[in-house]
Amino acid sequence: EKWATTLPRVPATQQALQLFDMNYGMQFGPLWPSARVSLLSEPKYGALVNSFSRVHDVVHDLQDLRAADFVYAAQNGPAGGQGPAPLSPNIQCYTFPKGDISRFPPARPDTVGILGYYLMDAASLLPVLALNVQPGHLVLDLCAAPGGKTLALLQTGCCRHLTAKDISVSRIKRLHGILHSYLPKAARNNVSVSVEDGRNWEQVERDVFDRVLVDVPCTTDRHSVMEHDNNLFTRVRKKEREQLPMLQMQLLVAGILAAKPGGEVVYSTCTLSQLQNEYIVESAIKVAETQFSIGVHVEDLSCFRRLFQDTFSFYAECRVGELVLPHLTANFGPTYFCKLRRAQ
Amino acid sequence: AVWLSLAPEHTRDKTGNLVLGNLVQSLLDMGFSHTQRSPNVLRMSVKQLKDRGEHLRQLGLSEGHLKHVVSRCPPIFTLPGKKIDATVRLFKEKCLFTTDQVMEILRSCPNVLLKEPSDLEYKFQYAFFRMGVKHKDVVKSGFFRAPFTVIRSRHVFLERRGLYQTPDKKGQTQVINAKLKEIIWLSDKDFLAQLACASLEEYDVFKKLLAREEEEEEEEKRTDSED
Ligand SMILES: C[S@@+](CC[C@H](N)C(=O)[O-])C[C@H]1O[C@@H](n2cnc3c(N)ncnc32)[C@H](O)[C@@H]1O
Repeated sequence: EKWATTLPRVPATQQALQLFDMNYGMQFGPLWPSARVSLLSEPKYGALVNSFSRVHDVVHDLQDLRAADFVYAAQNGPAGGQGPAPLSPNIQCYTFPKGDISRFPPARPDTVGILGYYLMDAASLLPVLALNVQPGHLVLDLCAAPGGKTLALLQTGCCRHLTAKDISVSRIKRLHGILHSYLPKAARNNVSVSVEDGRNWEQVERDVFDRVLVDVPCTTDRHSVMEHDNNLFTRVRKKEREQLPMLQMQLLVAGILAAKPGGEVVYSTCTLSQLQNEYIVESAIKVAETQFSIGVHVEDLSCFRRLFQDTFSFYAECRVGELVLPHLTANFGPTYFCKLRRAQ
Repeated sequence: AVWLSLAPEHTRDKTGNLVLGNLVQSLLDMGFSHTQRSPNVLRMSVKQLKDRGEHLRQLGLSEGHLKHVVSRCPPIFTLPGKKIDATVRLFKEKCLFTTDQVMEILRSCPNVLLKEPSDLEYKFQYAFFRMGVKHKDVVKSGFFRAPFTVIRSRHVFLERRGLYQTPDKKGQTQVINAKLKEIIWLSDKDFLAQLACASLEEYDVFKKLLAREEEEEEEEKRTDSED
């Protein structure tokens, strides 16, 4: 392809930024510059406490750093005083206060080699919290690798069984690695991990899961503007990029089909794109109704905005679902999540 | 205060005229005295002082400007002539300022003479290449008087917010860049309200993050060069 070498070479990160400027400039107006500078600056992390480690010591160390469990604070602070929130239980995640740019040291293995905490974007715990997993539930994690949310789901201690699937062999390997570093053998018994295309709903059992997490591949906005490696905005990956919304919708529909009647599904992404967030939810609901005669309700999660306002910066204008906007004082996200309930 | 240490007998010749003419007179007018009590004494012989005055005058600083220089940063009078020439050469040969522009820089910002030439060059390159500012605007804005960390953090802040762009080869940008002068000299409050449209909290966190980024880049460079 000789002609290709004569085209101006815009780095993929630059390409991503230009597209975001166009789309998000319109979508978010005056809020976009604040989100933009945040995407281009160092993100914050949360330390998800591993309940299978020596929790007492771990918590002690984290408190010494002056970090606090944001989940606990949300439920026990002034915003939480309106009855128990419908959250998945037993999840502890430590973060530094707004405006504090301290970092967590890497987690250390305890005496039996289990790591004390998992560092992740704290906002990506919100979809897991929203799933409201309860004791005895059968849970499906449809796009599970590398496994941060899988690990969080297991922290609830509520999964009678957890099924984790992902299409990528190499990423599934990483998921296995995480499960090995964080779970004692006994705790892995009720987890099954497999490499599979989540769209293959012939393969996935239908109508069985109490809870389904559909954490789809997306334009991973933060990664796309910062990292050259594995960037979706290179010219050779244009097709793949354009096919994302279709893939996302198919995965969400598959998730809805896998849920049992009355079961709950959370759809999540780490992009700000309306096209990959609200539109996907809305079209998947239509497809479920017209093609499969399955009724789906969108559950209201606006209480999340109130509960977690001290930790995250929320965008209040989504048509359906909730969105965490990156902000320098709370540089988490982007995380979009929307909860659906399958009709009885 | 800085005191100029000149023995009285050195300031006048045998006939009682001021040897250094207007220069010494203006120093005296400004309150410099001949006392030697002060610890911050500017120790120079008459000849040195005279030569330096002449040198600076040749670079285009008139009597009035010299007075200004002495009041702003008297240590300039103690600089070796070589050092002054090196700075002037840097501006002309490396940064490609015209003679008039160099004069203007020295008049408005004499303490560039006290700076490390390599720092000045780096600072200029930042304005010229990274920010795309033209020579004449660098001079007009009083750029060399502003602390570099302020310039950089304000520029990068605007850039990451999508409000500032390095012009392309044809000098074009997608957004209208703020003037260098405003970026440099507005108060934090006005900079945030008028140019960045951001809160003070955001900017405070940003400055901390940027400082850490810089530190870690430096660290990386150091370890890379050790390998
Ligand atoms: C956003 S990541 C999931 C992150 C994961 N939930 C976590 O918290 O660590 C999206 C994942 O979807 C997987 N994926 C892409 N297409 C898929 C498909 N058709 N079926 C199942 N997984 C798919 C990708 O391999 C990728 O690991």
